Amino acid sequence: MLEGAKLIGAGAAVRTMTEGSSNTSNANGVPIPIPGSTGIYEDHPGLHPAVDERVVEYQAGIREQMSELMRMDGEHPEVVAAAERVHGESDNIAFLQGLLEDLRAHGRESEAFKYGVPNDAPLPGGGNPAGSSGGVDLANGNEAGSSAGVDLANVDDAAAAESPLDQFGIHPILDLNIGEYYVSFTNLSLFMLLTLGLVLLLVFVVTKKGGGKLVPNAFQSLVELIYDFVLNLVNEQIGGLSGNVKHKFFPCILVTFTFLLFCNLQGMIPFSFTVTSHFLITLALSFSIFIGITIVGFQRHGLHFFSFLLPAGVPLPLAPFLVLLELISYCFRALSLGIRLFANMMAGHSLVKILSGFAWTMLFLNNIFYFLGDLGPLFIVLALTGLELGVAILQAYVFTILICIYLNDAINLH
Amino acid sequence: MLEGAKLIGAGAATIALAGAAVGIGNVFSSLIHSVARNPSLAKQLFGYAILGFALTEAIALFALMMAFLILFVF
Repeated sequence: MLEGAKLIGAGAAVRTMTEGSSNTSNANGVPIPIPGSTGIYEDHPGLHPAVDERVVEYQAGIREQMSELMRMDGEHPEVVAAAERVHGESDNIAFLQGLLEDLRAHGRESEAFKYGVPNDAPLPGGGNPAGSSGGVDLANGNEAGSSAGVDLANVDDAAAAESPLDQFGIHPILDLNIGEYYVSFTNLSLFMLLTLGLVLLLVFVVTKKGGGKLVPNAFQSLVELIYDFVLNLVNEQIGGLSGNVKHKFFPCILVTFTFLLFCNLQGMIPFSFTVTSHFLITLALSFSIFIGITIVGFQRHGLHFFSFLLPAGVPLPLAPFLVLLELISYCFRALSLGIRLFANMMAGHSLVKILSGFAWTMLFLNNIFYFLGDLGPLFIVLALTGLELGVAILQAYVFTILICIYLNDAINLH
Repeated sequence: MLEGAKLIGAGAATIALAGAAVGIGNVFSSLIHSVARNPSLAKQLFGYAILGFALTEAIALFALMMAFLILFVF
């Protein structure tokens, strides 16, 4: 606190000093009106084109420097709070410049840093850690910072709870560390297991006691529908093979389709979690499938598979460029396959969340017209949910049909 | 400064939607043309059109992804 007082004193001194001598120009070379003149900038300092911008720049610089020194993200509420304590929302250029230079020159030992991150602040998790007097210890600095900005962090959490992207957060349910690896059981794993359990249960119910009843019940119809659908897809898309060889690929494709279908549809249940809205999952799927398809291609054609990269009948001078282009487009398939699914799922769910948040807020505005008018957004949300259900099925289908097309390319070498 | 630039960048990324709009319009206008010429193929063509629609829409979503990257990653 004493240091803070000193610092404020120094800042005030600097301020008076610059205000007294600022009759020529500031550091940027922009003339500042002489005190006593009736210049418009003096009457309305906010109008000065250079000053306002530079103040913001310096304040951002201080925040950046603080985030570096505190070893935290620049957007972190604690960093923002500490930076605000340091510059105190001042619009005095010289004062801000002095602070920034102090931070740059002395780092964690600087007056400004100590003022922004007080060492003697009470810690939430117990007493002061040892060695807090030095203020150079990494863990210590972080802890002090976290306690200093704790109020603001709470406020920010409350505000952040409204973000439409919150629904995609991965939270650990069981914390697990094996060696250095973090292998917690998260809500992502839970919902993936749920999907798997659901699919397996469905198949188990249908095939119980031999299954295959002549008159199918609802579950058997569903499974038969999915099976028929994928079988037709494989038969139509993959050509040039006898039925037996073709059907070696069928189980893999069927499982991919079923898994994606159930993941996507499960995500449409309110308050559940969409597994396929993470490119961790979709890219893992698409890359492994892509590698598998490439292996199949090499297995069937050996090194002749490289002729895939050169379309037939291309003039020789064009060949190098075309090979490069084809190679890029071939590799990009893996990426686009995963990102398409991920982006569709994420965009759809965020959209529904944003619009339903809008309808929810409108409902409680205590105004009868808004209350009745809320039917509009409500119906839009309803329609979008229907659209999302369609997209969930469609994207599983698109993913599967693209696998079939790529597999066909690898087998028949266009 | 950086915040403002981010917002401008994210807004500019949505310009890509123009292309996707043209693409989706093209897919369905072609579907209507084709079905008008040969109504008996309607069912088969609709399947292709839906596939084309999904692929075109995905391009628009790449733009959305860029906007998110600009806003939240950098």
